[in-house]
Amino acid sequence: MAAEPNEPKNRYRRYLEVVTGSLEDKRRYRQYKTRIRQLPPDYRTAAEAMERYLLHLGLTDGADVTMYEDLADLFERSAIDETPIRDLFGEDPVEFVEAFVANYPAGQWRNRERNRLTSAIKRAAGEEPAGEDRTE
Amino acid sequence: MGKLVTEMLKGTLEGIVLAILSGRSAYGYEITAWLRDQGFSDIAEGTIYALLVRVEQRGLVDVEKVPSEKGPPRKVYSLNAQGREYLEEFWTTWSFLAGRLEQLREGGK
Repeated sequence: MAAEPNEPKNRYRRYLEVVTGSLEDKRRYRQYKTRIRQLPPDYRTAAEAMERYLLHLGLTDGADVTMYEDLADLFERSAIDETPIRDLFGEDPVEFVEAFVANYPAGQWRNRERNRLTSAIKRAAGEEPAGEDRTE
Repeated sequence: MGKLVTEMLKGTLEGIVLAILSGRSAYGYEITAWLRDQGFSDIAEGTIYALLVRVEQRGLVDVEKVPSEKGPPRKVYSLNAQGREYLEEFWTTWSFLAGRLEQLREGGK
C-alpha cells in the first residue's frame, strides 16, 4: 500500500491529538481564557464562577469551545454596555447558567446517564428486547 | 413581579422573543430592554442571550454581525421563514392553551 506523500505527518498529528485533544480547540480555549482575563474585575469574577460551575457539575465536558466563545462574547458585550452583573444573571444565577449550558452537547458523564435512563425506561416499558446494547 | 409569572414565562419566552423579532430585527440588549418596558422586569439578560443562542442553533433566526465602535460586533437577529413557521405553531398552541384555561375558569365559577 503506497503511502500518500503527506500521510506520515497527518498520522503523526492524529496520534498526537489522541493524546492531547484537538490542538485547534486548545488554541481557541486559550483565546477564551485571555478574553476572560481582560474583563473588568467583577465581570471576570462572574465569568470564572460560571466556568467553575459548568465544569464541576459535569454539565459539559468542557471540550465544546463554541460554548466558551459564546460566553466570552456575552461577558465582553455586557462589560462594554455596563450591564449590571445582577441584570445579566437575574435573581437566580443557576437558572440562567442551566439555560445557557443546555444549548451545548452535554458532558460525557451526563450524556451517559441520560442514555442509560432512557434505555432503561424503554426496556421497562417493553419497547425494546432485553439484552440489546444500551450504554452509548 | 412574582415567582408565578417567572414560572409561567419559561415555556412562552421563546415565542415572545420570536414574536418581537417578527416585527423587526433586534439585538439581544434591545429585546431585554423591550421586555423590561413591558413589565417583565425579572428577566435576566443572560437568559435572553441563552435563548437567542438556541433559536440561532435551531435555524429559526438569521444573524447579522454588525460592527460596534467598542468591543466585539453586535449580533442582530431577524426571524426567517422557518422561524415564522415556528411562530405560527406557537400562536396556535397558545390559543389552544388560553382557550382551555378560560374554560376552566368559567367552569370554576
